[in-house]
Order: sequence, then C-alpha cells, then structure tokens
Amino acid sequence: MSVISRTDNRLTPDAVQAVTFPSARLGRRGLDEEHVRAFCGQVERELVRLFNERTALADEVQRLRRRVLGLSGNDAEAGYRQDDAHVQAVRILSKAQQTADNYVADAQDYSRQLAQDARRRRDEILTEARKHAAVMLEEAHTEASSAAEAALVAPAAQPDGDRRELEAELAYLRTFSDVYRTHLHAYLDALLRNVEEWERAEKTSLAATRGSLPRLPHHPQPPPPTG
Amino acid sequence: MDTARLKESFARVAMHGDEVALFFYSDLFLRHPETRDMFPVSMAEQRGHLVRALATIVSDVENTGQLTDFLQALGRDHRKYGTLAAHYEPVGASLLATLAHFSGPAWTPELAADWQQAFGLVANVMTEAAAQDEKLNPPFWEGTVLSHEMRTFDIGVFRVVTLDTLSFVPGQSVAIESEMRPRIWRLYSIANAPREDATMEFHVRVIDGGALSPALARGLTPGSRLRLGPPVGSLTLDPGSSRNVLLVAGSTGLAPLKAIVGQIAERADPPETHLFVGARDASGLYDLQDLKKIGAECPWLTITPCVSDDPDYRGERGTLPDVVARSGSWASHEAYIAGPTPMVEAMTERFSSLGVPATQVHVEDFGWSEPCP
Repeated sequence: MSVISRTDNRLTPDAVQAVTFPSARLGRRGLDEEHVRAFCGQVERELVRLFNERTALADEVQRLRRRVLGLSGNDAEAGYRQDDAHVQAVRILSKAQQTADNYVADAQDYSRQLAQDARRRRDEILTEARKHAAVMLEEAHTEASSAAEAALVAPAAQPDGDRRELEAELAYLRTFSDVYRTHLHAYLDALLRNVEEWERAEKTSLAATRGSLPRLPHHPQPPPPTG
Repeated sequence: MDTARLKESFARVAMHGDEVALFFYSDLFLRHPETRDMFPVSMAEQRGHLVRALATIVSDVENTGQLTDFLQALGRDHRKYGTLAAHYEPVGASLLATLAHFSGPAWTPELAADWQQAFGLVANVMTEAAAQDEKLNPPFWEGTVLSHEMRTFDIGVFRVVTLDTLSFVPGQSVAIESEMRPRIWRLYSIANAPREDATMEFHVRVIDGGALSPALARGLTPGSRLRLGPPVGSLTLDPGSSRNVLLVAGSTGLAPLKAIVGQIAERADPPETHLFVGARDASGLYDLQDLKKIGAECPWLTITPCVSDDPDYRGERGTLPDVVARSGSWASHEAYIAGPTPMVEAMTERFSSLGVPATQVHVEDFGWSEPCP
C-alpha cells in the first residue's frame, strides 16, 4: 500500500505500518526492535487520529456553510439530518465494537502472558531439576567411594582379596543408595509441598473470582454521544 | 471505468486507516443486523482482512488474470462462512456508503458509478466461482474427533473423520473451526496422505494467547465436532520431479511433511528420502514413536531427529540448518521445509548458501515465531 505515499508524497498510516528497517551490521549496536515498532505504532495511530479529526472538521465546516447559506428548514436539510442520524448510529456501534475488540485483545494478551510465564517457569524447573540430579549423583558417588575405601582398609579380620573387594563394592552400593534415598525423600517432600501450595492458591483464587470480576487493565469510558 | 481515478480515490479513503473498515461493518450491521452473526465477537482481525483484500483488488485492477484468480479463490473460500449470493448487494451498498463518507466533497456521481461498476465485477466473479464450487463441494465438511492426545505440554495430536469425503493433496491444509470458538477459522496441515477410511490427523501446537490453538490442542475430546474448510496450500510433492527428496520439519511443521512421506510410500519406485525433524528439547520430538514405525517399514527413508537446546540429548544436537548442512550435500535434492517462521527463514537462507537452486526449495511458513529448532 505504499502506493499511497508515492502518489502524493505524503506519509500515511499504512506507510508507517509497513516500514522496515535493515538490521544493524554484526558487531554494530542497533536500536531495540520492540521499541522502534511500538513507536511506529504510536505514530500510525496518531496519523489516523489526525486524518479523522480533519474529516470531522471538514464535515462541520460543510454543515455550517450550509446553515450560513440559509438552507436550513427545507427538504435538503431534513434528508441531511436523517443521514446524520445514521452516521451517528454507525459511530456509536463502531465505538461499542472497538470496546469489545479491546476486551478480547486484553483477554488474549493476559492469556499470552500467563502462558509465557508458565513456559518460562517450566524451563526453569527442568533446568533446576537437571542440575539437582547431577549434584545428587555426584554426592552419592563421592560418599560411596569413601565408604568403599574405608571397607578396603578396614583392619578387622583381614579376609582375602576377593572378599575385601566385594565388601568394598557392597559398602559403595549401600552408601550410594542411602544418600540417593535421602535426597529423593527431600525432593519428593518439596514437590508435595508445591502441589499443596498450588491447590491452596487455586482454591483462594476461585473463591476470589466468584466474588468479583477479574481485574483487567483500565479502559477509558467511551465518551457520551454528542450532537 | 477510470481505474486511475479508482486508485486515487481508494488511496485517499485508506488514509483513515482502521476507521474505514470500522465504519463499513457498522453500516452493514445496522442495515442488515442478521449479518452480524456471521462474524466473531472481535472484529479487529476481520477489518484487517477486508482492507487487505480491497487493497489487493484495487492495486491489481488492471491485471485481470491475476485478479480473477484471487477473486475466484476468495468467492469459494467465503462459502464456509455461510456467505450467499444475496449477501453481495448489501455489502456493495455499505461499501459505497463508506467510500462516500470518507471521500467527503471528492465523492462525485462519476466516482460512485465507477465504484458501483467495479464492485459489480468483483461480486460477479466471486458469486460465479462460489456457484461452480457448490456443484462439487459442500461449503464446509462436518468432522468428528475420533481420538485426541497431548503429546507434550503444548502439542496435541488428534484424528478426525468427515461425513463427506474431503479430497486433498498431501501437504495441503484446511481451515478448522471448533464449536468451542465459533467463527474463528485457522489453517492446519493434514498430517497424512488421503486414507480409505477418510480419517485425517492434525498436529496442533499451542500458540500462547492464541484464539483457537489452545482449544484444539487441549480441549478436544472424542466426539467433539469440527468444521473443516476446503483444502488449500501448495507445499505438495512436485509430480514431475524424479530427484531424491529432502524434508525439513520444525516442530509441528512435521504434519505436512509426514503426509508427503505417506504419499511417497505409495509410489511404485519411491525416491531416496531424508526427513529431518527438529525441536528445542527431546520432549518436543512429539511423534518419534510413529516415525520410527514408518521408518522401519520404508527402507528408502532416513529419519534424523535433532534437538537444538538440550546439551544432555544423546542424538544429533544443533539447529536444523546446522544439522542438515553437515549431514550431506543437497544440491540435487528436491527440498521441502515446514515450521515456525525463524526456522523456515534460516533454513531457506542456508539452502541458498549451500547452492540448492531456489526452484527446488518448497516452503510452508507456519507463521508463528519460536527460536529456530
């Protein structure tokens, strides 16, 4: 739609919406894309508002001109008034539609944020759990190894080599499983607490929403119809 | 009809941005309240569609062949929304009222006649195409969900059977509407070649804050009703090519490529085919079980799953472009890519630097954005 800006060389809302900037070369600092995009959105909306204000003013001038020319009271004016009423109705319906659009957009935005948070949280939990598992294995291995060494050098009965090795392995495995089991207990306890907390939170929030509507970002009230 | 005058008039009206489509729909709904039910609650997206369609029509007004193709497709596509020939006249009237309103003093009887004539032509082509299509196809296909499962926390796979047979080419997609989200249609690829029992498989990844995907991926149960639109899309196997085939799937981009694998399997002499399936972590490889089964039955098929963001993964690690590039030379292959936008873009770029001719690269961009798997 850059046709528009080409024909009479004016900057249009569509041109602003369609504008693209090349990315900065590697190693060069560039602007934050989100910010640039948000600003372009603002410029576009402002341009649209200006165009529409201009049209409304042109309409008003026309109406006043007609009145000055003394056209009021005759048939032309009656027809004009009827048109005017329809345009007013269109404006009111448009306003209502925009309000509905905003509510839907807000709800979707809210759900997007929730979903993204959940996704991020999931990644964090998984990373944390992986790290935890690695640490747990490492610790169990270290403790078990020293238990095995202790078994090897135990002065007690000085049994033959094979048996000593078996006892060392047994000590290793026993310690390994002990440490592992302790960690697993702690981990499952923590998980259980998490689930309980979740249940509690859900109950409270359900009770809360039953009483009041969910809080949405504030919207300006549509202005009362004029004219 | 003075096309230059039409273009100039449209350019002036389009300066008013979203207000134009807003006025148009309000005018239409006030004059014909029964048409409101054909649209979803939020009209924001719809207004964008209208303005884009008008812009396409106006800018292609001299290019009759291309414009006719566009309008015929548009006319056929509108059948699923319940559009009837009788709707075109009220739409034309509201369109003219809208153009008149935003043109102000520039609106002349000549200009009105031009627009009237132009809309008449548009309506003719669209209704004609719809009438032709009516002889062959229903406006939409009624589907029933047979099975549904969540494969990962954000990918659902389900099977649908339709009452009437829906003929499609493997790799194509259909618009889906669910009774959970009335009047919201989104395109999804069919994940299988046509089957005798008329069942179809779909893979849906949840788009955060999406209008339909969360409902489809999580909310369906056996027995859920869906409406399916006519098949569209051109990511289909080149019938004239005897080259070996390379398929690159990111996330649920697997769906159309799995359908193509199914089609190749039906050939008497299947070409050597290599399928790469990428995801960020191992759990994102949501269809491996089925793929392994297919791989075991098809000696001509090599499947390489790869994972980009999980250092503990024991198979191929890296982004799809990296893994594909180091796994062979592809300059004489017919390549098909499907998946999220950044992955499709990165892969296309890589093929061009690897010397795969652009005419051999076929692409389906799923439109959503996720770091390249």
